[in-house]
Amino acid sequence: MAEPDDLDARSPAALRIEHLSKTFPGTRALRDVSFDVDPAQIHALIGGNGSGKSTLIKILAGVYRGDPGGTITVGDTELRSNQTSPEKARILGLHFVHQNPAVFLDLSVAENMAIGHGFETSRLGWIQWRRLKRRTQALLERYEIPVRPDAPLRTLRPAERAMVAIVRALQDQEGEHGGVLVLDEPTASLPRAEVVRLMGALQRFASMGQTILFVSHRLDEVLDTAATVTVLRDGQLAGTLRGQEITENRMIELIAGRAVDHVFPAMPEVRGEEVALEVRDLSGGPLRGVNLQLRRGEVLGIAGLLGSGRSELLKMIFGAYPIRSGQILIEGEEVRFRHIGEAMSAGIAYVPEDRGTEGAFLDLSLSDNVTAAMVSRYWKGFTLSNRAADLDARKSIKQFFISASSEHQKMGTLSGGNQQKVILARWLRRKPKVLLLDEPTQGVDVNARVEIYDLVREAVSGGCSALLVTSDFEELSRVADRVVVLARGRIIADLSGSDIEPSRLTELSFSPHGVAS
Amino acid sequence: MTVTPGALPESEAATVPPSPTPPVSDESVWRDRALGFIERYALVIVFGLTFLFFCVWPKTSSAFLSLASIRNVLADEGVSGILAIAIIVPLSCGEFDFSVGNNAGLTQVLCAWFIATQAWSPVIGVLVAIAVAAFVGLSNGNTVARIGVNSLIVTLGVSGILLGIDEKVTGGQSITVTSPGLIKLGTGYWFGIPRPTYYLAFVALGVYYMLEHTPYGRYLHSIGSNRDAARLVGLRVERYVLLAFVISGTLAGVAGVLLVARNGGGSPQVGTVADTLQALAAAYLGATAIKPGRFNVVGTLVAIFFLAFTVTGLSLAGVADWIGDVFDGAALFVAVLISTVIGRKRAGIT
Repeated sequence: MAEPDDLDARSPAALRIEHLSKTFPGTRALRDVSFDVDPAQIHALIGGNGSGKSTLIKILAGVYRGDPGGTITVGDTELRSNQTSPEKARILGLHFVHQNPAVFLDLSVAENMAIGHGFETSRLGWIQWRRLKRRTQALLERYEIPVRPDAPLRTLRPAERAMVAIVRALQDQEGEHGGVLVLDEPTASLPRAEVVRLMGALQRFASMGQTILFVSHRLDEVLDTAATVTVLRDGQLAGTLRGQEITENRMIELIAGRAVDHVFPAMPEVRGEEVALEVRDLSGGPLRGVNLQLRRGEVLGIAGLLGSGRSELLKMIFGAYPIRSGQILIEGEEVRFRHIGEAMSAGIAYVPEDRGTEGAFLDLSLSDNVTAAMVSRYWKGFTLSNRAADLDARKSIKQFFISASSEHQKMGTLSGGNQQKVILARWLRRKPKVLLLDEPTQGVDVNARVEIYDLVREAVSGGCSALLVTSDFEELSRVADRVVVLARGRIIADLSGSDIEPSRLTELSFSPHGVAS
Repeated sequence: MTVTPGALPESEAATVPPSPTPPVSDESVWRDRALGFIERYALVIVFGLTFLFFCVWPKTSSAFLSLASIRNVLADEGVSGILAIAIIVPLSCGEFDFSVGNNAGLTQVLCAWFIATQAWSPVIGVLVAIAVAAFVGLSNGNTVARIGVNSLIVTLGVSGILLGIDEKVTGGQSITVTSPGLIKLGTGYWFGIPRPTYYLAFVALGVYYMLEHTPYGRYLHSIGSNRDAARLVGLRVERYVLLAFVISGTLAGVAGVLLVARNGGGSPQVGTVADTLQALAAAYLGATAIKPGRFNVVGTLVAIFFLAFTVTGLSLAGVADWIGDVFDGAALFVAVLISTVIGRKRAGIT
């Protein structure tokens, strides 16, 4: 299967992926992807949301099994793509460090090293601290990490913590350059300065002979460090760039699937329509001065990558996240909510991103869930009218196309799509002025997706306005009237009409420079 | 409850919007209803059978069904019942108040000390003692809700402190109260039923009303179900949790005063962690009945009398005293086991 001609000229690949496909019910996440990772260099794997990069990493890690027909080769061991498992990944010498590595902040560096490797114990079962410390010291010196073995991890900088996690993954490795280190968005939650430190360390490891495959969506760090870049788009290999070919424009082109449009769209003047919500120079968390206007009867989409601050923006508007500075105005009047109840009274509704932990009361009934945001309405002076609540819940079941046996059914026994419709019903029943939607269709099947957006559209035509965050740019382009792009804590573009196009949104989200003047 | 056609299993539920009627046989509907009924009334049925057993078992039959014996249990369980009701208020919002037993103990000692040693008027003594108990609840609630310390640890620690204060106030000795009015409240009968039973009924009715028929009760259950979601529907979670502890503290105070009235004084040996454990056992056992998966007043009452009558029956049969403790502990263990399993089923985790 290997093409011997030009590949043999270089040193053999450290990791070779051939004809890798993965089919999920209804979609093909990966289609016949093949590429080589050369030894002793940094190889970046990039792609937009849903491009298949995390599916690929999960197959390598053995979390998923690939479709039959492909192979994964590490060194000279070949593995069939439908036979992957965490055990085999370990035997092959694939070492994984995930986005939020499981490090123990209250334990020391040496203890963190020992967890996963095993403590060195005496014959009586005692931990031989001195041996553990010596081994950790040797590892830290070998990888040139400037920390002491007995320092608690909490006292380390974020980049150093990530390095400890990486060295922990590599510690069992025999020899200088066995195996492949796979990093899944190691920099996603790190501040800028820390990213530079970590990337520096990775380059040092590579020059010591370590092969590194890393997934990222920060193009500037890819540009600075990667020797080879593989780009995935819609589950397929979009292209591989080497050396001088690696430029920002080329990468964006491959990610978005078309040539880069260098001119950013001019921010359209806000037309003389009624403004339902205005945000002025809002800062806090990852946001650094966000300005936006949501007009009445509009669905305004917010495009942004994970960590761009899109969820925090919605939470700040809802009074659920601390604001450093800036203003929020509802229908022209400045508001400053001390708690969520005040935001709700001002006519704001919020459908949170994580349905399971922030939205649903799984062990309560559908009726309790639908009425949760307006319990006091059913207070009839002396008792709570469960009958009125149940009646309203039954109406909502019809109005919102919820499939349930009755309003008494427990929330936890409904499907994801139906749970989401229940939560949407909870808020739309309040007739909000501003509806904040964070990933409203996550984990929801196609039909329910359509229904959810129909319901949103209906509410909006009734005079409500919606602010919509979703990672699915395809969906965003179809649903939103206008889309702003949030990157690096600022709004960098404002698109409407035919400018709203998934590839354009991807391109802008990845653009590291912000607004071109 | 209306069962509309279209009860779909979850996986198919959303994929077919105009839901076709799935074949739901009458048999399976009846089976579900029967199972639901059994789940709801299992504890009541077991209680009934146990009661019947002690009535006919030759070793216990003569003494068990006597008026004196039943009155005794009813009167004694006034205090345990109020404590069990008290503990379900914070449990509803997912917090433990492990100090209810000791809080009742402190109230009892203080009340006796105010009236007997300090010669305060009984009314003032009772009210101040209950106020102290409410304050203990406030302090617990403040630490748990505002600072965010684990409630079990906080209230367990507070229990120890309260026990120490008991010893200090009493010097390890019992204090006898002779106020006839107060004693009468704890010992007499109205219409042949011991007075403490009325107090229990009154407290139970109040808490039942609060938990089931006021927005506050609904809020507590929501917080207990999912605290983050509760916050995001605008509930003032801290405030409500704090109030739950004030309520459990106050009710523990009422139980403490009732102890003085029953025992004619206060003693550092009365009102301890053992009482808390019993209350906890009743609360968890109660959560398996009537409204399974949810702490509820009626279930708790059934549980408290089930435990009490069973222990009485066993002791009449000549079983050693320690069996009673083992029984309470085992009941707590089994109840938590059952409610965990039921809870997981209800949340759709299998």
